[in-house]
Amino acid sequence: MSVESVVSPDGKKLTIVIKGRFDFSSHQLFRDAYERFYKAPDTYIVDLKDTTYLDSSALGMLLLLRDHAGGDESEVRVINSNSDVRKILAISNFDKLFDIN
Amino acid sequence: MVDVHLDPDVLSGLQEVMEGEYPKLLETFLDDSQKRIEALRTARDDAKALGKIAHSFKGSSGNLGAVRLAQLCERLELESGEPTANLEALVDQIDHEFAVVKPLYESERQRFQV
Amino acid sequence: MSALAPAHEALTILIADDSATDLLLLSTIVRRQGHQVLTAANGREAVEVFTRARPQLVLMDALMPVMDGFEAARWIKQLSGEALVPIIFLTSLTDSADLAECLDAGGDDFLAKPYNPLLLAAKINAMDRLRRLQATVLQQRDLIAKHNDYLLHEQRVAKAVFDKVAHSGCINAAPNIRYLQSPYALFNGDLLLAAYTPSGDMHVLLGDFTGHGLPAAVGAMPLAEVFYGMTAKGYGLTQILREMNAKLKRILPVDMFCCATLLCLSTDRRVVEVWNGGMPEGYVLEVTTGKRTPLASRHLPLGVLSAELFDDRTEVWPVALGDRVFLLSDGVLETADANDRLFGVERLQQVFDANREPDRLFDDIEQALVAFRGEARDDVSMVEITLRSGLATRATGPLYADSGQSCPRDWSVNFEFRAETLKRYNPLPYLLQLLLEIHGLRAQSGALYSVMAELYSNALEHGVLGLDSLLKRDAQGFAEYYRQRNERLAQLDSGYVRVQVQVVPNGAGGTMTLRIEDSGPGFDVEKVLAQPMDIDRLSGRGLGLVRQLSRDIRWSDGGRCVCVEFSWEALA
Repeated sequence: MSVESVVSPDGKKLTIVIKGRFDFSSHQLFRDAYERFYKAPDTYIVDLKDTTYLDSSALGMLLLLRDHAGGDESEVRVINSNSDVRKILAISNFDKLFDIN
Repeated sequence: MVDVHLDPDVLSGLQEVMEGEYPKLLETFLDDSQKRIEALRTARDDAKALGKIAHSFKGSSGNLGAVRLAQLCERLELESGEPTANLEALVDQIDHEFAVVKPLYESERQRFQV
Repeated sequence: MSALAPAHEALTILIADDSATDLLLLSTIVRRQGHQVLTAANGREAVEVFTRARPQLVLMDALMPVMDGFEAARWIKQLSGEALVPIIFLTSLTDSADLAECLDAGGDDFLAKPYNPLLLAAKINAMDRLRRLQATVLQQRDLIAKHNDYLLHEQRVAKAVFDKVAHSGCINAAPNIRYLQSPYALFNGDLLLAAYTPSGDMHVLLGDFTGHGLPAAVGAMPLAEVFYGMTAKGYGLTQILREMNAKLKRILPVDMFCCATLLCLSTDRRVVEVWNGGMPEGYVLEVTTGKRTPLASRHLPLGVLSAELFDDRTEVWPVALGDRVFLLSDGVLETADANDRLFGVERLQQVFDANREPDRLFDDIEQALVAFRGEARDDVSMVEITLRSGLATRATGPLYADSGQSCPRDWSVNFEFRAETLKRYNPLPYLLQLLLEIHGLRAQSGALYSVMAELYSNALEHGVLGLDSLLKRDAQGFAEYYRQRNERLAQLDSGYVRVQVQVVPNGAGGTMTLRIEDSGPGFDVEKVLAQPMDIDRLSGRGLGLVRQLSRDIRWSDGGRCVCVEFSWEALA
């Protein structure tokens, strides 16, 4: 399980790539991925291309990111989710809070 | 087979380790060994007993640098398991070898006694 | 002598050898290395010394009289229990089988004769490292066990507190509910609550908090209090949902929330009202046709959205006697077999399809899960509620000891609820509380609430909003009816519902007259009353019910105004 963050050259977009299982044990790594940038980006992207599994703690972590990014004013996109992950996001209706594709 | 009765390197090693207790060690060994020689005689034809005593004797003589003595004891230990071996001859050889090294240890002891 | 000095601390070492020479030599070597030495000349002496002095390490000659080194080693290993007392065999044995026997007997290493002091020192240090490692492992294990006991105790206390909060529910008492839940469900975040409303409807909540353990359990308590408190007072699902969401949003950390399905099953009105935020879909099972209506998750879980953004819209489905509602937690779908395949929705559908007897469906699902996994899983929650007639259980309000001496006996009050209020406020719980100030009415609180709710709902929906009750003849019509209701209510900008309460004493008892008036066009009272009381029809104006429960119902003003009376005798 790994978490990598990539900032765009202009510093306005932060992409967080999660590989493996996105669950309770990812907590600290995930928070570190966005908390250590003192210049807050405008857009956050969470790339789940290699994420094999997602549970309710992961949903909670997405909520933390959204809160950090400005809550209702935030722009957080969740991209490249596979069908299993999509299903989990759909049941919890998280597409009402995040831009998911 | 090279005939080494007493290995001087082993002795100097023991000297270093034992320091002031070196003479006591030599004396203990001589005492011990005398008892073992007698035990070998008493054991006579009891191959099993001979094997055990030889094993023990091999250990301490090896520790004290009596190389040929240790080798002879090893042979006795091994051959005590063979039914056709001539154990009495080996006991004689051990007896003889001890008679050779005993005075060497005694003079060594003299040297270090104040 | 620094190369030979002990790496850590000085040890107490037992040396067992039947050769006085070797014993003297070894003792000196070991003492010079800084350790304390105990000696033994045979195996039995070695065991005695060990028992008495408990040295930390043993140098053992293999072949000794009385008791040999192998047997002594076995004894010592047994005596040392969980602690590691390293035994180094001293041997001039060279045969592999013999050396193997040393290790089998419990030896941890061996040292060959003639002795090499450097090698001996190194081996003693190495064995001491292992000894200390074992000691650390045992210490940490004991610490973990202690902490674990403490946690279990905390959980037991939390569960006891929670059970007291949750005792007011009807989950065990109601004959038409069947459920499956682990006794430790609370600590998996699973919650199952059920309670009757004053009118005899049943509210059920199946919830799943994020996380495990106490954090999940802690959120359950405020939620349960809201659920029971508001249900008992007659609040509807919408208001209860809003309050639960607001409470959780306020008290839980950002990353915690509660997926939940909340439903209201009304035997009187033959409907089930549902809100599902984040739970797997539940099902309404129509027994006559076998049709399954999924109750899908349409909302975000509770505790995520602020009050302004929270969506409290429910779905309403018709149900007939014998129909069942199934709810399940994701423990059901996530049950895995030996190859980590999940049970999943398809298999569940297969169980539904294969079932021939509705009464056995609950068991069929349970058995299918066990067959799939090979054993029962302890975090599965499942509940089945059957619509049955004749359950006249209504929640009764609190009864007071005083015989009505201090209650209001002769009074009246008028309310007028206008458009803006009708849109967002349900006055029924408040009105009920007001009426329960009359002690004599408390025993009839259930009937009172049902009648009030029915008449108010008629006034609002048919009177003010102009909805046609004939729409509610089938499932599609139902959906359309409620869609129109929400739409018209959202757009309402005029109209009113007036509620008047008149209480007069009658001997030692009294009479309460309830009058409800709406701003609508009215209706042909005679025509409607002439229709037979068809209790199996999906719905009417619920008038049959009202007539059953109250005394002397009268309409006036072209159907716009209705009056009912409730009376009581002197209290004992």
